[in-house]
Amino acid sequence: MQIDIDEISKLFGATAALHPVSLALPSGALVALLGPSGSGKTTLLRILGGLEFPDTGRVLFDGQDATGLTVQERRAGFVFQSYALFRHMTVFENIAYGLRARGRQRPAEAEITRRVTRLLELIQLPDIGKRYPTQLSGGQRQRVALARALAIEPRMLLLDEPFGALDAKVRKELRQGLRDIHDTTGLTTVFVTHDQDEAMELADLVVVMSMGRIEQIGRPQDIRARPASDFVRSFISA
Amino acid sequence: MSDTVISHVTSEPRPVRAALIGFAVLAMALLVGAPLITVFAEALTDGLPVALESLSHPEAVDAIRLTLIVAAVSVPLNAIFGIAAAWTITKFQFKGKALLLTLIDIPFSVSPVVAGLCIVLTFGANSAFGGWLVANGFPVVFALPGIILASMFVTFPFVAREIIPVMIEQGRSEEEAALTLGASGWRVFFTVTLPNIRWALLYGVLLCNARAMGEFGAVAVVSGKIRGLTATMPISIEMLYNEYQSVAAFSMAAVLALLALVTLALKTLLEWRYASQLAANRRH
Amino acid sequence: MIVQRSPMPGFALGLGVTLTMLSIVVLIPIVALFVEGFSAGLPALWGSATSPRVAASLWLSFRLSLIAAVINLGLGLVLAWVLTRYRFPGRRILDAAVDLPFALPTAVAGIALTALYAPNGAFGSLFKEMGVKIAYTQWGILIALIFVGLPFVTRTVQPVVEEIEREVEEASATLGASRFYTIRRVILPLLMPAALTGFGLSLARAVGEYGSVIFIAGNLPFKTEIAPLLIVIKLEEYDDPAAAAIGIAMLAISFGLLLIINLVQIISRRRIGHV
Repeated sequence: MQIDIDEISKLFGATAALHPVSLALPSGALVALLGPSGSGKTTLLRILGGLEFPDTGRVLFDGQDATGLTVQERRAGFVFQSYALFRHMTVFENIAYGLRARGRQRPAEAEITRRVTRLLELIQLPDIGKRYPTQLSGGQRQRVALARALAIEPRMLLLDEPFGALDAKVRKELRQGLRDIHDTTGLTTVFVTHDQDEAMELADLVVVMSMGRIEQIGRPQDIRARPASDFVRSFISA
Repeated sequence: MSDTVISHVTSEPRPVRAALIGFAVLAMALLVGAPLITVFAEALTDGLPVALESLSHPEAVDAIRLTLIVAAVSVPLNAIFGIAAAWTITKFQFKGKALLLTLIDIPFSVSPVVAGLCIVLTFGANSAFGGWLVANGFPVVFALPGIILASMFVTFPFVAREIIPVMIEQGRSEEEAALTLGASGWRVFFTVTLPNIRWALLYGVLLCNARAMGEFGAVAVVSGKIRGLTATMPISIEMLYNEYQSVAAFSMAAVLALLALVTLALKTLLEWRYASQLAANRRH
Repeated sequence: MIVQRSPMPGFALGLGVTLTMLSIVVLIPIVALFVEGFSAGLPALWGSATSPRVAASLWLSFRLSLIAAVINLGLGLVLAWVLTRYRFPGRRILDAAVDLPFALPTAVAGIALTALYAPNGAFGSLFKEMGVKIAYTQWGILIALIFVGLPFVTRTVQPVVEEIEREVEEASATLGASRFYTIRRVILPLLMPAALTGFGLSLARAVGEYGSVIFIAGNLPFKTEIAPLLIVIKLEEYDDPAAAAIGIAMLAISFGLLLIINLVQIISRRRIGHV
């Protein structure tokens, strides 16, 4: 799905989290929002997911205005920095949650089981359905959060610092995991990171942000070859 | 980042919020507010002078004095116990610590009447020990010592429970530092430990005092209700009420209600100002 | 007790004071209760505790306490939620007022509730017009028990509400769940262990409550006579063994409740990390 961000701005109190920013994300792209903390990247991600509403501007999904859609209507698969797994539910119930929450349109129990099983295979953890989140490693939790987000058959995948809570070794392994899942599902995927290595290695398109503004948009090699500003030059070489 | 802004995602719709707040306020007004107002309204039925006059009756004065004596003895004793228990439990590793903590908590789960009953069965004239005490001119039950013991029983864990978590949190490194600098044990306690726990101690003493002065069930069993001798304020409220002296009963009740309000105010003040120095999980 | 060597002074003094006072004030008196209760043998104890009038009073205390605790469970969840999540004028005063049933002496609460709900009282006269008698009936006991148990659930649940991560609620919403579904399936299950702890504490308190109940209760045997009052009556009749039997039965109920609370906590801690 093509995502267009049109002159979006957001104030928190008196501070501008986002100055009007515009951005076009092509369908099926794997996009990194890269910047230091306070650059507005997470706010932008949350606006895409419907967790915040912009003060001005519009969000378009495949050309349709989606600005007024509630978070439930967005159908955005969202992976939180803390993963936000439901710790009183098993892994199976966590992944099935979005399907069960549909009320009248909820699939039959056999269909739920089939889908959850398939997702557990997709994240290569087929045997952990009965465990509770506290019994999982950090890397396993991240993948369960991903599976839970994918279970609702989202229109896009949004990830807030998906590797932030992991140690260096697991981080590297899971990068490839995210790439694989993106390639398998073909979903437009946006992830937030402050790690330029991660952005450069993983993304098709990198959006460098600072102080609520977009500094540069481009393919990793183009940004590396031709940084658009001093900020970008110093940030990507850090 | 967005913590200060009420999020539309993690909050209920405005009408639901308003309804829940309205329900909470109404429920508290009916359940808690109305009885409190009733105490003062009934006390002032015939005006303030009559209410004050009833409090200056010799029997009322005796009750107030007795309650003050009971609190003045039982609260410091419980504070000493709380400090001794907290020191032992938090500064040393020994077998049976968990058991000791459990034993200290027992009074929380014992009905006040059962507490009074236990005191009567131990120290009453019918028991061997109690009989010996009476024979030697030191009656406990139906006398001041019994009332003090009953009050201590029901408030026993109050101080310990407030300072133990604080002392666990603070560890013992400061005390160890003071010891290496050559301070004696008592000096360490008074110059290092006590200043660190003073607000938690005050908090515990406050709760202990309010409960000790207001205790009814346990004291009712041991007091014998002898006018002027063993009738504390709560006991004399009961006696006056049963004699249909409504204004006098409610005037006495109003004094205790004021004490409760002052206690609550001080407690809330301590929670605001010294939250970090009080037991972190005091609400559990 | 075996103590590890420590540079810290005062172990002997501290433990000595602790054990001496604990023994005199709490342990020896409780032992005396059991000695008295078992003095005539277990059959006699069982007979006293299950005699019709005693059994009726124990059942009354337990049944009404259970109803009051259920009401306080619902009330406490709403209060904890409103006081922690919403900002409105008077919130802090409302928060402090939750503790009033703890702070107000039971005898004061007892006569105030009686005056309020007596047939000529402010609330009692309203109910009288509807043909309902509150004071001197089981309704009156129930109201007094709701009053004394009110703070428990609120105070155990409040810190847990504070701890719920916003991201967990947001995650539920991004997965398509309505707010109501999120509360039912995510928030309430997270609050339940703490709420049940508060429920148990509220129940234990109500079972043993005396002061706030006896004025409003009417105290008719088999109808409105609570177990603690029967202890007082037995003592006044110099029937110490019977009083002790009721006391032991009440202790057994309290400790049974505490045991259940602890089991609930252990099970939920094993599952979801902490309570």
